Amino acid sequence: IFNGVYANMRMVHVLTSVVGTKCELKVKNGTVYEGVFKTYGPECDLVLDAAHRKSPEPSLGPRKEDIVESIIFKASDVVVVTFKDVDPNFARKDNFTDAAVSNRINGEHKEKDLEPWDGGDTHNSDSLESLDTDVSNGWDPNDMFKYNEEKYGVLSTYDSSLSTYTVPLERDDSEEFLKREARAAQLAEEIEASATYKARVALENDERTEEEKYTAVVRGERETPTISRENKYIPPGQRNREAMSWGAGRQNSPRLGQSSAGASASRPGPHDYSPNTGPDQRVVNGGSSHWPSPCPSPSSRPPSRYQSGPSYLPPRATTPTRPPSRPPSRPSRPPSHSSHPSYPSSSSSFSQHGPTSPASTLPKRMSSEGPPRMSPKSQRTPRAHRVPPSRISSVSVAVDLGSHNPPGDVSATPPARSNSSGGTWSSVVSGGRVLSLSHRPRSPRQNNVGRASPGSSSLSSPQTGTAPIETVTTLTSASSPTAASPAPNMVASPSGDGKDCRVQETTQSSPSANNENIKSLDNSPSISRPVCKGPPSMAPDHRKQIDNLKKFSVDFRLQSSSSPDPSFDQMTKPVRDSSDKPKDLSLDKAAAAGRDGAEDGAAGLAAGGSGAAPASSASKPGSPAAPSPSSLEQKRGGQDVTSQGVQTTAMSTLSGPKHEEKEEKKEAVQDQVRKSTLNPNANEFKPRFNTQPKPANTPTPPRPQGQPSPSIVVQQPPTVYSCFPQMYPLTPVSPGVQVRCTPVQMPHMAVSQPKPYRPVPNMPQQRSDQHHPPGTPTMMHPATAAGPPIVAPNPAYSAQYFTCSPQQFTSQPLVQQMTHYQSQAQHVFSPVMQSSARMMGPPTHGQPSLVSSSTTQYPEQTHTMYGEYFTFSLSWPMPQQYPHPSATLHPHPQHPQPSATPTGQGQQGPPQHGGPPSHPAASPVQHSQHQQAAALHLSNAPPQQQIYSALAPTPPSMTPNPQSPQASFPSAQQTVYIHPQQVQHGYNPNHMAHVQQAHMQSGIVPSHHPAPTHPPMMLMATQGPGGPQPPMPQTALNPIPVSSTTHFSYLAHAQVQPHHQQQL
Amino acid sequence: IKSQITNSCLQGEVVAFDYQSKMLTLKCASSSGKPNLNDVILINLAYVSKVDIIHDRTETPPPLASLNVSKLANRARTEKEDKLSQAYAISAGVSVEGQQLFQTIHKTIKDCKWQEKNIIVMDDVVISPPYQVENCRGKEGSALSHVRKIVEKHFRDVESQKSMQRSQAQQTQKDSTLSS
Repeated sequence: IFNGVYANMRMVHVLTSVVGTKCELKVKNGTVYEGVFKTYGPECDLVLDAAHRKSPEPSLGPRKEDIVESIIFKASDVVVVTFKDVDPNFARKDNFTDAAVSNRINGEHKEKDLEPWDGGDTHNSDSLESLDTDVSNGWDPNDMFKYNEEKYGVLSTYDSSLSTYTVPLERDDSEEFLKREARAAQLAEEIEASATYKARVALENDERTEEEKYTAVVRGERETPTISRENKYIPPGQRNREAMSWGAGRQNSPRLGQSSAGASASRPGPHDYSPNTGPDQRVVNGGSSHWPSPCPSPSSRPPSRYQSGPSYLPPRATTPTRPPSRPPSRPSRPPSHSSHPSYPSSSSSFSQHGPTSPASTLPKRMSSEGPPRMSPKSQRTPRAHRVPPSRISSVSVAVDLGSHNPPGDVSATPPARSNSSGGTWSSVVSGGRVLSLSHRPRSPRQNNVGRASPGSSSLSSPQTGTAPIETVTTLTSASSPTAASPAPNMVASPSGDGKDCRVQETTQSSPSANNENIKSLDNSPSISRPVCKGPPSMAPDHRKQIDNLKKFSVDFRLQSSSSPDPSFDQMTKPVRDSSDKPKDLSLDKAAAAGRDGAEDGAAGLAAGGSGAAPASSASKPGSPAAPSPSSLEQKRGGQDVTSQGVQTTAMSTLSGPKHEEKEEKKEAVQDQVRKSTLNPNANEFKPRFNTQPKPANTPTPPRPQGQPSPSIVVQQPPTVYSCFPQMYPLTPVSPGVQVRCTPVQMPHMAVSQPKPYRPVPNMPQQRSDQHHPPGTPTMMHPATAAGPPIVAPNPAYSAQYFTCSPQQFTSQPLVQQMTHYQSQAQHVFSPVMQSSARMMGPPTHGQPSLVSSSTTQYPEQTHTMYGEYFTFSLSWPMPQQYPHPSATLHPHPQHPQPSATPTGQGQQGPPQHGGPPSHPAASPVQHSQHQQAAALHLSNAPPQQQIYSALAPTPPSMTPNPQSPQASFPSAQQTVYIHPQQVQHGYNPNHMAHVQQAHMQSGIVPSHHPAPTHPPMMLMATQGPGGPQPPMPQTALNPIPVSSTTHFSYLAHAQVQPHHQQQL
Repeated sequence: IKSQITNSCLQGEVVAFDYQSKMLTLKCASSSGKPNLNDVILINLAYVSKVDIIHDRTETPPPLASLNVSKLANRARTEKEDKLSQAYAISAGVSVEGQQLFQTIHKTIKDCKWQEKNIIVMDDVVISPPYQVENCRGKEGSALSHVRKIVEKHFRDVESQKSMQRSQAQQTQKDSTLSS
């Protein structure tokens, strides 16, 4: 690169350092020129500006006419060049650094020996001492005002509302406001979750004094001043911590709500949860009280912050307006509690755990779930703190779970869970409605959770761990409704599988715990949607009465209650399994991953359960599915379950679209769900679908709100998370199911999906889920004309499917299920979403090993996914949503439509729209490619990529949330490895993290799902391996439709979720 | 890498050597005797009859400090402008004293230029030959009084210089030549 002299660093340095100095240059003929050294060439040609031939007469300066603008001297002509009086340090950049200055000091200069300063006796006692020991953080503003008033008669015009500088926030129940609030919450969460934010907060909160940190003086013990920081300024984050109890209370309340809901739905919750009511109350009452206490910070800020904090919390939960809803919800909750003492207890335990610490929560499975949620909530309350709390809680939870899990027999617990889940399921069914109502409430919770999880995800592994947990909890909650059915299934056979799946997931998740978290978040949104749907069917009246807020609260309760038990059980079990394995793998991360995985698995299980339910044959499918899961990981019926789950997921996804299509559909779905409720699984799925669809429908409106919607979306994701947790529990029961579920969740989560992407590890799980979807896909294919669009989503899904594909293959029944799905399609979608979330966890496990295999499968899966979408579209009038399915674009279009309505939403809506369009474009191609790939058995990777690309398009929609997408992308890439598209998915996850971008997420979600799914797929492939996979390809296509559907559902769900939020 | 080279009458520390161009760079003590300054000599060894290594160093040379290129570029530009300005004055037939005075004033006040044989300071004060304090004209004010102080001091220094060689920071060659 450098020629001649330029290659000689030292010559360059020296010559450059003398540029601009006067020099005398003697040429070979003896002539001396004087000029300003301008520059030099590679051949050491020298350039002098304003040069003149130095006259023999030194006394005279150059005359104007003697001066030449510039002269270039060839090196060969130059004899000597003399630069006089050059300052070698003239151009040194560090001219004024201490080092530079000290280096120029003449003479001997060694560091002075520092001597401790003895202030002398005179000052010791007074001023200095007082300064050092004065712990107070200066004057309290009020004291200052008072002092000035008394002393100088000056009255402060200070207005705490700062009305002179800002305008008070007018809170209302409008969707837009809620959306905005959610958006704000998401943003806050994102920010707080960001590494930079944490780093800065850490700096601010560094207990060490500046003296301690930077002083060069080594103090003796005697000198080290121990200044208590009690009165010092406490960063908001820390304050939050203090307020944690409050936050916990809140979390609890939501949870309680969920628990109560669950209780109402069924006593599932069961045993462990018993204490709910107490906690709930605490949440409501105590929580508020706690806040005040935290506020106490010395400075005035605390109050404001607190307010903000509360407001935030409300937003998450339900925004300001929500508070009212809460009360209503509370009432409802109480009943539930009464009905289900266990739940209340659980919730209480959660709350307690949350406040106290993750560890405490961890102790019990239930508690663990509770804690996660709690933590998230708590985290939310204190943004900065939120994250930490979540982390902590999550971590602790994870740990606890791990410990607990280990204690609890995986196998044994699973059954128990299944049982409980069964109970829960029944409850869920009823709760499903409740959930649907509660969904909104949940959504807040979910949001909280999501935030927490996002934060955690964003945070280090610990966070991820926490996030997973949260997700799990969310999943559980979310799934509970939809999952409820899954849970039953799970209970039957899945439990074992679920455990296995969980374990796998955990393993996978460990790598990409974050991703999982994200996924979980995504899932949670989906869940929330389902919940929303459920509410309509279940408690339309409630909605009217309580309004959205109430719904939310109710939903929360429902979700928490219903899902909690199953999810918890499942979760705990999975966690245990996973935790055990993860523990080996590593610390918290591993645990987190395991948790995630467990969650995913639970979700998957739930999804599977749901799927099974949808098929009515659910149980049947479940059995088939169970085999596949088993193949993956001991999962007995895991695969079958998974397949079922996939189907269910597909169903859910379908349902999701349906929901999107119209509330009416939702109602229908609800009805269906109810029917399904007859079959625990079916019911659950239906509810979810309903909920999801509703979300979609409602979401679309919200989207118009666009910006608000984003926020809402975010909230939804959280809800989803909550759901997911529940789901997870379910999934634990049947691994396969979980996987499937996760895919489904993914779709639902759309927003959450992005998170899944991050969780890359989750991706694997999702993949597994996808595998399930594939089965559905087969079904879908028929319908698939839309398939291509789906392709985009499918990619991720496809990956998942691949892993699942084996299962799917086994699960041709899925096809039948697919039909079911179509009918139940909406429901399916919702389940799918959830399942997807679940999948997320499993995928992570699978991803590593499965990746390659999964890739191959992916194409098929993706196809299947598309197919599913198509089927949905076909089967359902919902069309709008279907459109999405039909072509990934369609889904998006729908979203767009929603957005269009909301147009105001702009970012989310538009992005989504954009995403959809892109998807469509990409998706078609991808579909074709995928299909081809599937047909050809081409490398899965290509298909996946395509899918990813398709997903990528969705990301475009996501574009509004560019940042998050990008971030997610990285993660996605990691998880994906080969799949670029996955990377895109990763973006989605990022979006998830961003929450705000939730809308985007919807688009992204698919991608996320895909990613997650891929991991699962991987797992599947590894496990099921060859046999299944080979078949998969062929059948895979068919199965793929399902998966695709699931993906779509995810997308739709994601959208729906946003809508729900908006609705909320 | 450091070595002492004797070239006819040059001796210094080798700071750089380019084999292809045979260019050798020496760092010598400042010819003006200022401690913080060095003379840098670029020698084309093609025209050197003999190079003696007086002392060979084995230590690695100090790392190269990054250079502020823009600062160097500015220096080159200002130096060029100064020289052109000086040339203008010379061509205008300004006396050596006038040129010295200009250099002195220029060191304090950058905003000064030649106008024929008059020195224009800040577009306000005009110093016409023979450049004595009483030759300073302009609006009465701080500027005029300030310039007068400079001029007054300049000639006082010049007087002292005659008896005692004094080094002035960044004295131009002309200054030095004149003084000598």
